Amino acid sequence: MKIQEENPFLKLKELARRISSHRHFMRLIPLLFLALLTFFFSVMTGGRFTSPTSLKIIFEQALIVGTVSTGAAFIFATGNVNLAMGATTVLTATIAGMVYNRTGSSAAMILAAIALGILIMVISALLSTVLKVRVMFVTIVMMTLLSALQQSILGGTTVSLPHDIITKLTQMKFSYIVFCLYFIVSVVLFHFTAIGRSQRMLGTNSVCAEQTGISGPKYLVLAFFIAGIGCGIGALLAIVRAGSIGANTLTSLNMDCMLALVLGGMSIFGGSRSSAYAGIIGAVTVCILNQGMLMINVDSTVIQGVRGIIFLILVYTSQKRPQGLPAPEG
Amino acid sequence: MTKKEILLEVCGVDKNFGVTIALNNVSFSLERGNVYGLIGENGSGKSTVSSIIAGMQEATRGEILYKGETWKPGSMLEAQAHGIGMIVQEAGTIANITVAENIFLGHEKMFSNGPFVNKGKLMSEAQKLLERLGIEGLRAEQPTRELDMQRRKIIEIAKCMYWEPDLLIVDETSTALSFEGREFLYRIMKEQRENNKCVLFISHDLDEMMEHCDKLTVLRDGVIIGTLDKAEYEPDTIRRMMVGREVKGNYYRNDFDGYGDEVVLRADCITTMEDLLCFNLELHKGEILGLGGLSHCGMHTVGRALFGIEKILDGSVTVADGTRVKNPRVAINHRMAYVSKNRDTESLGLSASIYENIASTGYKVNTWFLNLISGKKENAYVDKQVQELSIKCANKHYNVNTLSGGNKQKVVFGKWIASDAEILILDCPTRGIDVGVKAAMYQLIYEMKKAGKSILLISEELQELIGMCDRILILKDGEVTCEKFRTENVTEHMLIDYMI
Repeated sequence: MKIQEENPFLKLKELARRISSHRHFMRLIPLLFLALLTFFFSVMTGGRFTSPTSLKIIFEQALIVGTVSTGAAFIFATGNVNLAMGATTVLTATIAGMVYNRTGSSAAMILAAIALGILIMVISALLSTVLKVRVMFVTIVMMTLLSALQQSILGGTTVSLPHDIITKLTQMKFSYIVFCLYFIVSVVLFHFTAIGRSQRMLGTNSVCAEQTGISGPKYLVLAFFIAGIGCGIGALLAIVRAGSIGANTLTSLNMDCMLALVLGGMSIFGGSRSSAYAGIIGAVTVCILNQGMLMINVDSTVIQGVRGIIFLILVYTSQKRPQGLPAPEG
Repeated sequence: MTKKEILLEVCGVDKNFGVTIALNNVSFSLERGNVYGLIGENGSGKSTVSSIIAGMQEATRGEILYKGETWKPGSMLEAQAHGIGMIVQEAGTIANITVAENIFLGHEKMFSNGPFVNKGKLMSEAQKLLERLGIEGLRAEQPTRELDMQRRKIIEIAKCMYWEPDLLIVDETSTALSFEGREFLYRIMKEQRENNKCVLFISHDLDEMMEHCDKLTVLRDGVIIGTLDKAEYEPDTIRRMMVGREVKGNYYRNDFDGYGDEVVLRADCITTMEDLLCFNLELHKGEILGLGGLSHCGMHTVGRALFGIEKILDGSVTVADGTRVKNPRVAINHRMAYVSKNRDTESLGLSASIYENIASTGYKVNTWFLNLISGKKENAYVDKQVQELSIKCANKHYNVNTLSGGNKQKVVFGKWIASDAEILILDCPTRGIDVGVKAAMYQLIYEMKKAGKSILLISEELQELIGMCDRILILKDGEVTCEKFRTENVTEHMLIDYMI
C-alpha cells in the first residue's frame, strides 16, 4: 500500500484521525467528559454546583468509590468482572466498626479492615482458580453471601463509631492520606511493574499470556489481593465519612465502581486499554453525575436509569475494534 | 479456440482507507471454465479486491460487471444468493454449535416450521452435502469445538459449496489445510472448472498457484502488475513481479554444517492424551530439527508437549540441566520459546500494541530500582526488534491487529528473539506469509542456528523442511516413520511415502 500525496483535504482528515486515535488523546477523553459535565451542571444550577460545600461532598464520595474502583481495576484488567466489591466493602466496614467498638483501638480497626478485605477477596479468587469457575459467577455468589452475612450481623441495628474518633480521623485528613498512599502504590504496581503488565496481558489474550510464561491463577489472586486492600481502605473511608454503617450503607457502591471504571476510560473487558487512573477519574465523574442530577432535581429513579444507560453505551463502545489502519491483508 | 463467456469483469476499481490506497485502478476479467490465481505480497490488495467482489465491502471508485450487469452486492449473503461464494482467510465457524448448524448458519429458516427449526431435516441435509462432496471423517451432528482448524476450514468449504456458486473465491485457505485437505480443495476447484464455472484462488504458495491456476494475476501495492498465462509461468519472474526486486527461488540455506553433540532438549517416552504414545526426541545444540507429516500425525502435539502446554501423562521432557519442563513458565525460565501454529489466537495479543507484545517477554529483564520497569530499557528492547526485523508499522504503539500476516509473525519472532531464547519451537512459522517475508524468516532461522541456538521446525511444507533442517523426522500416527539427515539427495517423494 502507499500513501496518497496529492489531496490536502484527505491529508487533513488523516491527521485528525491520527490525533483522535492517538493513545494519549484517548486518555484525555474521560477528563474532557468530566470537565464538560462540571460545566453543564454548573450552568444548570446557576453556579451552586461548584460551591465549596457541593465540591466537598463530591470529593468525599469520590474518595470511597475511587479507592474501591482503583483496586477493582486490577481485576478488570485481567478480563474479569467482580460483582462483590460493594458487598465486600460494606461487610468489612461493619466488622471493622465492631472491632473498634470492642477494642477502642483505631489501629486494630485499620488492620481488621485491610485484613478482612484481603481475606474475602483472596477466598473469591481461590474459589475461582481452584474450582475453575468463572470469576463473575463466584462473585455473584459472594455478593449474595456477604450481604446476607452483613444483614445477620446487623439485624435491624447499625454500627456506630464514637464521635471523638471520627472527629480525630477527619481532622488528621486520614481519608485523603490513606487514599493518596493507596493510589500511588496502585499506579506504580499497575503501570511500572510486571504485576500490572502481566494482568493486562492476561486480559488481552489469556492463552498467549500463559504461553509467554504469565501464570493466570497467580496474577488473578494478586489482583484480588490488591483489590482487597482497596476494599479495606474503602470501608475505613466509609466509616470515617458516615460515622455509622447500616443495612442501607453504600448499596450502589458496586455499580458506582463499574461505572467509574468505564467512565474513566477503561474497557470493561480489560486488557491493554486498562489503567489505574481510570478508577479515580471515573469516580469523580460518577459523583459529579449523581450530585449534579440531584441538584437539578432529577428523580432518583431517573438517575438510576441514566446511569444504567450511560453504562450500557460505554460497554457497547468499548466492544468496538480499536482504531488504527485497516489490516492491510492484501 | 472459442472465446469463453466472461463471468465477472472488474473495471478500474479503487479502494481507499483514508489516505491509504489499497487498490489503484484494478481491472481484470474472469471467464467461465477457468481457475484464476491472484498473487502478491501481504498488503498487495488481494483480499481487498476479492472481498469487494464478495460483498464484504464497497469499492471507492470503479465498476464491477457480473454476468454482464453492474455488480454492487450489499452483503456476502446477497452475493451468495447470486452465485458468488467466498471462503475467507480467517476462521469462519462457531465452536459451540454442530457442523450442520455451521453449514446452514443464517439459513435456518429453510428448515423451520413456524418458530421451530427442524433439526432432523437440517442434520440430514448437511450429512447429504458432506457425502456429496466426499468429505470423510466429519459428521453433521458433531460439535465443531471437537474439530481441528483444518476440519473447520473444510466445513467452510462445504458451506460455500452448498450454494453451488458460479464464482468460488478461495482466499488464503490452503495454508490452514494439510495434504489431504489441500487435495480436497483442489478437487473442488477442478470440478468448478469442469462444470464451466469459475474460481478465484488466492494463495502465497507459488507452487500450488502454478499447478492449479490457468492464469495468474500479480498485484503489488494495490496495482495490477500483470497477468500470465500458464505457458508463461516462471517462478523467478513471478517473484520479481510480486516483490519488485530479484528474489531467487532458492532462499533456503545452502550449507551442510551440521550441529553440536550436546542434547539441549529431550523427550523421553512421552505420552499425551491424544496423538503421542511413548514418543522420543532429542534436539541438539545448534541444530535445526524438522518435524513433518500430515496435519493429524501428532507433530503439533509434540511442539506443545515440549513447551509444557500439552499435559504429559507419562514420560518426561527435560532440558540440558535435567530440569523437567512441566509448564511454559519452566520452559521460558530455561530460555525456550514457542511460536504457535495458531498465531492470532495463541501467540499474540491482537488488541495490544506491537510494543506491549514484544515487551511481554522482558518484564523480568527491563527493570531498574526495586524491580520497577525501566521505560528506557523497555523501549530499547522493543525498538531493536522493530528495526532488526523491519516490522512495517506506522508506530510501535499501533495495535497488532492493524498489521499484515507477515508483520504479525515478525512481532511473534521479535518477542522471543528479544528474550534471547536458546531453544525455539516454531510451529508452521511461515504459514500465510508472502515470499519476501518468508525469505527473511529463513535467513533469521539460519542466523539463529549459526549463533548456536537450537530450533525445532514443525512444518507441513516438505520443501521448507528439506531446505532448512539438519535432520528431519517424519511422523505418522504419533510415531517417527523416517529420519533423514541433511544431504543433497533428500527429496519430497522420499518423505511423502513415510507420511501416508
